[in-house]
Amino acid sequence: MNPIISLTNVYKSYGAKQVLKGINLSIYPGQVIGYIGPNGAGKSTTVKILCGLISDYEGEVIIDGINLKDDPITIKSKIGYVPELAELYDVLTPAEFLGFMGELYNMPKELADDRILKMLTAFGLEANMHQRMDTFSKGMRQKVLIISGLLHNPDIIILDEPLSGLDANSVIIVKDLISKLAKEGKTIFYCSHMMDVVEKVSDRIVLINEGTVLADGSFEELQQQQGNQSLEKIFAHMTAKESLSDAADQLMSAFGK
Amino acid sequence: MNIINKFFLWLLLFPSGLYEKMGVSVPHLRSILRIKLIMDDRRPNSIQQTKQKKQKKPISFATLGTMLFTGILGCVFLSAFAVGKDYSTKLTIYFSFYIFVLASTLISDFTSVLIDVRDNMIILPKPINDKTFVLARLLHIVIHISKLILPMALPGMIMMGILEGITGVIPFILLILCATLFTIFLINALYIFILKITTPEKFKTVISYFQIFFAIFFYAGYQLVPKLFSKAALENYSITTFSWAGIVPPYWFAASWQYLKTFDLGSPLVLYFVLSIALPILSIWIVIKYFAPSFNQKLSMISGSEGEATPVKADKKGLISTTSVFITSMANRFTEKGTERMSFLHTWKMTGRSRDFKMKVYPSMGYLVVYIVLIFMRNRDISLDAIRDQSGKGKFLFLGVIYFCSFVLIMALQQLTFSDKYKAAWIYYITPIKSPGKLLSGALKATIVKFYLPIVVITSAAAIIIVGPAVIPNLLLGIFNLFLITTIRAYMSMRDLPFSQQQSASVKGSNFIRGLFIMMIMGILAAMHYFVYSYFIVILILCVLSIIASWLMMDALKNKTWDSLVTKVYEG
Repeated sequence: MNPIISLTNVYKSYGAKQVLKGINLSIYPGQVIGYIGPNGAGKSTTVKILCGLISDYEGEVIIDGINLKDDPITIKSKIGYVPELAELYDVLTPAEFLGFMGELYNMPKELADDRILKMLTAFGLEANMHQRMDTFSKGMRQKVLIISGLLHNPDIIILDEPLSGLDANSVIIVKDLISKLAKEGKTIFYCSHMMDVVEKVSDRIVLINEGTVLADGSFEELQQQQGNQSLEKIFAHMTAKESLSDAADQLMSAFGK
Repeated sequence: MNIINKFFLWLLLFPSGLYEKMGVSVPHLRSILRIKLIMDDRRPNSIQQTKQKKQKKPISFATLGTMLFTGILGCVFLSAFAVGKDYSTKLTIYFSFYIFVLASTLISDFTSVLIDVRDNMIILPKPINDKTFVLARLLHIVIHISKLILPMALPGMIMMGILEGITGVIPFILLILCATLFTIFLINALYIFILKITTPEKFKTVISYFQIFFAIFFYAGYQLVPKLFSKAALENYSITTFSWAGIVPPYWFAASWQYLKTFDLGSPLVLYFVLSIALPILSIWIVIKYFAPSFNQKLSMISGSEGEATPVKADKKGLISTTSVFITSMANRFTEKGTERMSFLHTWKMTGRSRDFKMKVYPSMGYLVVYIVLIFMRNRDISLDAIRDQSGKGKFLFLGVIYFCSFVLIMALQQLTFSDKYKAAWIYYITPIKSPGKLLSGALKATIVKFYLPIVVITSAAAIIIVGPAVIPNLLLGIFNLFLITTIRAYMSMRDLPFSQQQSASVKGSNFIRGLFIMMIMGILAAMHYFVYSYFIVILILCVLSIIASWLMMDALKNKTWDSLVTKVYEG
C-alpha cells in the first residue's frame, strides 16, 4: 500500500532558528496518528506545511501521490483542517460561515446546506444556526470549527487540539467520530497535549521534540521500548530535561524559608 | 447585505471574463468578497464602537453609518473653498484636508479591516489559488476605500460643479483618484517605517499614538487656524506667493487641476500635472513591487504567535523588577505600605500600558494644551507686562491657566475605573482586602503624581520665570485648591474599584450632575481666589485650609468601605 502522506527530510527554519530538522514520516490510509511533542517542538509547523500554509520548507512532501509543491490546490481540497485556537469570523452566523467554507471547497449549495443542517443538528446547534458567533462559548465555536473541517468529506483530517473547550459529552462524540472516520478509510492527524486522549484515540503515535522524531509506533510498541507505563510518563521521560517531580519539590520548597 | 455593497460587488465582478482569463476562480472570488462585505457591515465603526457595548442590538448596516459620517466630513472640507483668492490656494487646502483625513481613517482600517490575519487560518488552507486570494483582497480594499472616498469627495465635486461646471468636475475627479493612490502609498510607507523601527508587538501601540496625534492635530488646526488670521486676510491669501508651495504634494494636485481646466499646454504648470499623475503610479508600483511581499508576513506577525516573548533579564537578587526606581520612590513617599502602595504601582503601570486608557485620555490632554494656547491667543492684547503686574486681565489669565489644568486630572480620573480587561478585577475580590478605599486612594495618588505633577512643575516654572517669585503664594494656593477639587471629584466619582468596569458611552445622569457640581466648586474656588489675590495673609490662611480640606477628603476616600461601592461583588 502506498502512503497517503509521506514526508521526506523536511527542514524548516524561521530566520536562524531551525524548527524542523529532517522529519521523515509515512502515513497510511485509515491510520489515526497521534502527533505529540512539547511546546515549540515543531508540531504546528508540520501541520502548517501539510495544510499548505507554509511553502518555503526544504525536503519533499507527497500527499496522495502528489507533490505538495506541484499542486497545492488539489491537495488542499483533500484535506480538512480544524485549527487550534478558535479562529473564525465571529460576526457571522454558523450557517453563513459554514456556507462560505462550502463555497470555498467548491461544494454544490444544496449539498452543503443539507450537510450543514445535519451536522449542526448532530452537535445540538440547530437552534443557534442563525445566531452570530460572537456570543458563542468556546465549546460552541469549536463545534463549528470541527464541522468546517469535515464538511467537504475530506480524505485527510488534521485536528489541532480539537477537544479544547468541549464538554464531556461532546468529547465522547468527537472521540467516537474519530474512530468511525478511520474505519471509513480516512486518515487522521491528531495533534494534542492531552496524553490520555492520544493514548486511546490513536493507533500510531509520533513523538517529536526540537524538530526531530523521537519515537514512532503504536502505543504498545512505545510501551515495549520505554517500559510498561502510561503515555504521559513515556512522554515526560523522553522530553523533559530535568525530573518533573524535582520541579514539584522545588515548588513545595518555596513555602519554607 | 445592503444595496451599496451589492452594487459594488456587481460592479467589481463585471469583468469576470477577464478575471477568469487571468486564472482567477470567479465563484471563489465572489464568495470571499460577499462574506467580507457582510462582515464589514457588522463591524462597528469608530462612532459606533463605544455605543455598541451598551446596546445589545447587534450591529448591522455599519456601512451606511460610516458613509453618512464621511459625507459630513466631506462637507467640512468645503470650508477650503472659502479660503484664498485663487484656486491654487483653495484646492491646495482642500487636497491637504482630503489626504490628511483619508490617511487618518485608513491608518487603523488597514490592520483591523483590510488585512485580517484570520484569513491566513481560515481561507488559505482551502483549495484556492493565490491569484484569487490576492485579487479578492485587492478588490476588498478597493471597495472599502471607494466607500470612504465617494462620500468624502462628493460634496467637493458638487461644489466644483456649481462653481466651474463640468469642465471643472472631471479633472477634479481624476485628481481625487490620484490623491487617493498617493495616500495609500503614504500609509504603506508609514507602516513599513513603523515595522522597521519597532517590533510587531508594539506596532499597534505606535499606530494608536499616530491616531492620538492626528486627533489633536486636527482639533488644533480646526480651532487655531481661523483665529490666527482675520477673515479678510484669509480671503486674500494666496499660496502661490510662497516659493515652497511647489514641494508640497497637495499643491501639485491643485496646480494640475488648473492646468487641466485651462488646458494651456505650454503652461509651466505642466510639471505639476506630470508629478500628480506619475507620483501615484510610481508609488503604487513601489508598493506592489517592494512592500506587498514582506508586508503580509509582517502583518500576520502583529497578531500572530510568531513573535516569541523574550524573557526580561533578572537582576542580581533573582527577581525581575519592572518597576523603576523613580516610581518606587514616589510610591514610598506618597502611600502607606500595603494595599495603597500596591494600588499606586498597579495604577501607574496600567495607565502606562493600556492602549485603551491612553487612547481615551491622551487626546483630551492634547485638546487641553490647544485650549491653553487659545486662551493666550484670544488675549493677544495682553502684554507680558500686564501678566507681570498681576493686575486685571493678567491676573485672570494666570488663574485661568492654573485652574484649567484640573481638567487633565478629571479626564484621567474618569477613565480610571474603566478597562477593557475589566474581568481581571476578580483579583480584588478573592484577596482579603479590608478597606477598598485604599485601592481608590492609591489609584488617585498615582494619577496625581503621574498626570498632574508634571503639569504643575511646568506651569509653576513658567509662572515664576515670567512673573517672578512674588507669584509663589498665589501659585501655591492654586495648586492646593486643585488638589482639593481633585480629591472631592475622586470622592464623588470613584465609586468603583480601578479598572473594574466595562466602558460604556452613556454617562449616567447622576454622573453628569456630579460633574456640574464639581465645576461649581471649581468656579467658586477660582472666584474666591481672584478676589483675595493681593491679600497675602488671606492667601496663606486659605492655603492651610485648603491643605487640611484635601487631607480630610483623601482620608474619607481611603476609608471608603465595600458597602459604599456601587459594585460590591464580582460581576465578571
